[in-house]
Amino acid sequence: MSDVTATSGRGFWDNSGGRSGLAAWIFSTDHKRIGLMYFWSIVIFFLVGVMLGLLIRLELIAPGVNFLGAQRYNATFTLHGVIMIFLFIIPGVPAAFGNLVMPIQIGAEDVAFPRLNLASFWFYAIGATLALVSLFTAGGAPDTGWTFYVPFSTRTTTNVSLAVFAVFILGFSGILTGMNFLTTVHRLRAPGMTWTRLPLFTWSLYATAWVQVLATPVLAITLVLIMAERLVGTGLFDPASGGDPIMYQHLFWIYSHPAVYIMILPAMGVISDIIPVFARKPVFGYKAIAISSIAIAAAGSLVWGHHMFTSGMSDMAVLVFSLLTFIVAIPSAIKVFNWVSTLYKGSIRLDPPMVYALSFVLLFSIGGLGGLILGAPGTDVHVHDTYFVVGHFHYVMFGGTGFAFFAAMHYWLPKYYGRTYNKKVALWAWGLMFIGFNFLYMPMQILGMQGMPRRYYDYVPKFADLNLLATISSWVLAAGLLLMFANVFYGLFRGKPFGTNPWGGASLEWTATATPPLLENFTEEPIVTHGPYDFKQAGVRADD
Amino acid sequence: MNPSLVTTQEAIDPVFIFILGISLVMLVGITIAMIYFIIRYHRSRQPEPTSDVDHNLGLEVVWTVIPTLIVLAMFYFGWASFLTLRNVPEGALEISATARMWSWTFEYAGGQTSNRLRVPVGQPVKVNLHSVDVLHAFYAPAFRVKRDMVPGMENYVWFTAPEAGSYDIFCAEYCGVGHADMTTSIEALPPEEFEHWLRQEAAPETADLGRELLGKHGCLGCHSLDGSQMVGPTFKGLSGREATVLQDGVEKTLVTDRDYLERSILQPGHDIVKGYPPVMPGYEGRIPEGELVQILDYLTGAAAPAKPKPDGAALVQQNGCLGCHSDDGSSKVGPTFKELFGAQRTVSVDGETRSLTADRVYLERAILEPSAELVEGYPGMMPPYGHLSADQVEAIIDYLEGLGK
Repeated sequence: MSDVTATSGRGFWDNSGGRSGLAAWIFSTDHKRIGLMYFWSIVIFFLVGVMLGLLIRLELIAPGVNFLGAQRYNATFTLHGVIMIFLFIIPGVPAAFGNLVMPIQIGAEDVAFPRLNLASFWFYAIGATLALVSLFTAGGAPDTGWTFYVPFSTRTTTNVSLAVFAVFILGFSGILTGMNFLTTVHRLRAPGMTWTRLPLFTWSLYATAWVQVLATPVLAITLVLIMAERLVGTGLFDPASGGDPIMYQHLFWIYSHPAVYIMILPAMGVISDIIPVFARKPVFGYKAIAISSIAIAAAGSLVWGHHMFTSGMSDMAVLVFSLLTFIVAIPSAIKVFNWVSTLYKGSIRLDPPMVYALSFVLLFSIGGLGGLILGAPGTDVHVHDTYFVVGHFHYVMFGGTGFAFFAAMHYWLPKYYGRTYNKKVALWAWGLMFIGFNFLYMPMQILGMQGMPRRYYDYVPKFADLNLLATISSWVLAAGLLLMFANVFYGLFRGKPFGTNPWGGASLEWTATATPPLLENFTEEPIVTHGPYDFKQAGVRADD
Repeated sequence: MNPSLVTTQEAIDPVFIFILGISLVMLVGITIAMIYFIIRYHRSRQPEPTSDVDHNLGLEVVWTVIPTLIVLAMFYFGWASFLTLRNVPEGALEISATARMWSWTFEYAGGQTSNRLRVPVGQPVKVNLHSVDVLHAFYAPAFRVKRDMVPGMENYVWFTAPEAGSYDIFCAEYCGVGHADMTTSIEALPPEEFEHWLRQEAAPETADLGRELLGKHGCLGCHSLDGSQMVGPTFKGLSGREATVLQDGVEKTLVTDRDYLERSILQPGHDIVKGYPPVMPGYEGRIPEGELVQILDYLTGAAAPAKPKPDGAALVQQNGCLGCHSDDGSSKVGPTFKELFGAQRTVSVDGETRSLTADRVYLERAILEPSAELVEGYPGMMPPYGHLSADQVEAIIDYLEGLGK
């Protein structure tokens, strides 16, 4: 396996399949190029979402109307939610890093259906464009919140139909990517890549893909029903016509709760891949982590009703959904214990990917433990639809998936560019973000316990101090983000060269490919003889 | 424990402390373990890993079973406290709450209405929740209660105010541009004061004998009083209008005067109002003469006491107008009422702008058909108020005129 390190040149960058310029990208079926297109689009949408989030915080800096006012505030938080959820956090790790890394991790030349993969990206691009168009066309920006709850969403005069259609298109992108990944993992593993030698990142993508394929069609149906309700007045959700608004909520959450696992499972996979590499020890409880991914995907599909404890659904439903919700907490807890135990008696290197991964464990734990308050019906009633929920899901989604995305970016991206960032600056940026993050979202959780409802542009004076603190912290967080991206992007294009395996990873993307990888990844088909975290047997060491 | 002896906040708060306490212990444990490992096994102290251990069945069973027991305990207490919220103590005072975009009305058993929820201290109160348009939610943080208000569905919450004072009510389900302004309060009063307020607000009851008789004879099973469509024609505005009837299958138009009404009660088969089935039984000999007179007096309005003129200020409150329109000149979702009457307005009609004076005719249109002319700079969100009677609309316009130019 040492011959690959000798490869010169720019790998897949030198081989664009006979196309040039823009066409070399938007018509490319190379999983690495598609992964990079996802990555850059996702980062751009993330930055737009961050700016909208900062505007929300600006409005909330003090009671009363500041900067935005009610209608613009409502449109702003709706867009922040739609962009962050559908354009950043759902595709973030699986579409960008799943495409970049997964085929190489299992020793494949590409995904099973490269053209379908390109089609998925196109669906994503079209859906994202439509979502942006809906801001500026008839009726004004949608103001329903990302949940599109009826009857409000069928009544408002804003441009909800187009936004809903955009999300519908984005759903297809997810379904197709899911099918593609499932087939790839089943059919294209290299000789010797048994199921128990799969890197845990690939395991998590595999579990996620099942959720994408099974749950996303329900969202598509629900969204079509909203459009029908708005355009021709079918009345399915309108009590005056015998419909039921609560049925809409069930349909919406049947997808949107499993979507939470689409967001978090791949992130957990990233962490499970990074921690062993920087602890120089095999991951603790490989099978438990792999099985808990599947357990979370399966049980997580049955807990949607915990979003509806106050909706008026039956008490029996509350009982069942609460019990199932607590059961989902168990595999998540097991993963946390496994990650921490992996550190035991290791030789820990605090490089940027590891620092982001370890802060994921902490922030995800805070978010997850807050989820216990929300899973218990008695306490959920008090904090439902308050800032406690906003704080909770930012801990899980941003502190969890967001930080995992940054960890993956620091871990894998230099491999694809052959150049790397400044480690010291990366750690400074992390420090700013970590402080800003906690002083932004912890006050929100406290505000929620004190009773501040979410989606309020104005609030009673007793909530003023913590809101001011949160707004100031949002600037610290934004400064950290800016520094982090500037450092990474500068490094990718102008930074120091990045070796073949500087972290000392033992999975195929580190041991069997050049930096950057070649067009079809390998010069000859790799034969796998050890597990992905078996550093001794792989004979790999980290560069100093 | 008898649920009625526990208030909602007493039931919920211990569960918060239980879950938060355990969570804090676990979080501190995880954090300390991580930080200890990072320092102890940092490569500066430990250049090579000293263990290859990658699983430990005993340990893994322990950390699966213990969290399972913990979360099951949390589930149990979470569920038990939820049941307290759902089981209303006996003898609770019932009050009805109606939410609309973007205001609240509370109605008490005696027919009194208010925009703030007044409750007696120390007595459990059950609030029945209704919405007339989109989803809202009744949220009283001090009592840890929240429930969605769903059109077409009845929900409820209950709570007991432990001491006199004012407690926040927030709308917690997003409902559009006025969501954050949809706040009011619970005013907890000592019981005597509450009773006093109820008596003061009680509408003067007029003994409506004719109306009672309609109920007694079952007329209201098929004929509504409020204009809604039932098996037979509504009683609302019935008297003295033109009606098309079928006499032995021949169409005829007649005026519904007192004689006609009497005939319709005693021999309903004689004239069948067009569009309705001939199903009403005759009441010949089944209604005493005196009672028939009372009913006819009621239907023709002869018995109606001279109605007090509707109170515009009260109507504006009850219909939630002040949720979007201020009466003090401040800007809310809609234009302020202050100095509205007689002012020049710029409105857009089907996309064309024009200027007009806010006179009585315009104001009536603006109430009944708000979307016909939209005032510049405001969203076209106001629902039509067609259910107001002409008297009521006039009273509201009088009130607006009083707010002056």
